Amino acid sequence: MTTAIDEDRLSGTFAALANSTRRAILARLAAGGATVNELAEPFEMTLPSISKHIKVLERAGLVVRGQRAQYRPCALDAARLEEVSTWAERYRPVWEARFDRMDEYLTQLRSQTKEGRRR
Amino acid sequence: MTDGLGSRDAVVIERSFDAPVGLMWQMWTDPEHFKAWYGPDGATIPVAKMDLRVGGTRLVCMEMQTPAGPMHMWFTGEYREVVENKRLVYTESMSDENGNVLSASDTGMPAGHPTTTEVRIELEDLGGRTKMVMTHVGIPADSPGAAGWAMALDKLAAHVEAQRGR
Repeated sequence: MTTAIDEDRLSGTFAALANSTRRAILARLAAGGATVNELAEPFEMTLPSISKHIKVLERAGLVVRGQRAQYRPCALDAARLEEVSTWAERYRPVWEARFDRMDEYLTQLRSQTKEGRRR
Repeated sequence: MTDGLGSRDAVVIERSFDAPVGLMWQMWTDPEHFKAWYGPDGATIPVAKMDLRVGGTRLVCMEMQTPAGPMHMWFTGEYREVVENKRLVYTESMSDENGNVLSASDTGMPAGHPTTTEVRIELEDLGGRTKMVMTHVGIPADSPGAAGWAMALDKLAAHVEAQRGR
């Protein structure tokens, strides 16, 4: 793993964390590995929908799954979580989005000025 | 206040904008312009008071729509450096609507946790265009705007630490 944080990957991690069920799954896994059945227990959810959440976490690199037979126990991959838990990396997307809006707003102002001149 | 902080404790963003430096300065210092872009997605800025001079205070209100109705977050701070069209430095802390800084425990953070961060904006006139470098330094006790999962994430990260330490 490199120390440089890839922007896209980070966005994926944030998207995966922006869901309370998935955070609860991670919190459960922080206490130790578990099978999908075990993870589903505390939730009033069907196995397929829990599986979907786990797949999102897996794609985001937050959860790894064992290869062992049909159980394929889930485990937490804490490295990714540590990466986003530094505040600076949590703030970066907030600022990036702000500056995107600043850019849009400046474009708006420019077109308004042009219209004003035409009148 | 930034001594000892590594790059992981600061957000540095460099970006060029297709706008003259004077307008870019107003983006940060004119409340009406500031309100138009500052709020994170899904948030608006109903209040932005700016006493633009060194030692002057600022007070910004962020309004977010939640299922339970609108939620207001207030931020206050002090201008540290005001060099027109060049450099702006201000501090930021979570506060109440009167600008009283909230203590770490009020915002749900451990006691003794720093509550103030610093934002620095440097502008460079590129002749019609402007290069902007924004640096946000510190260890904030506030949550990052609309991202409501931040507190849960902190708890989770702490939990992970604790598990690993066993």
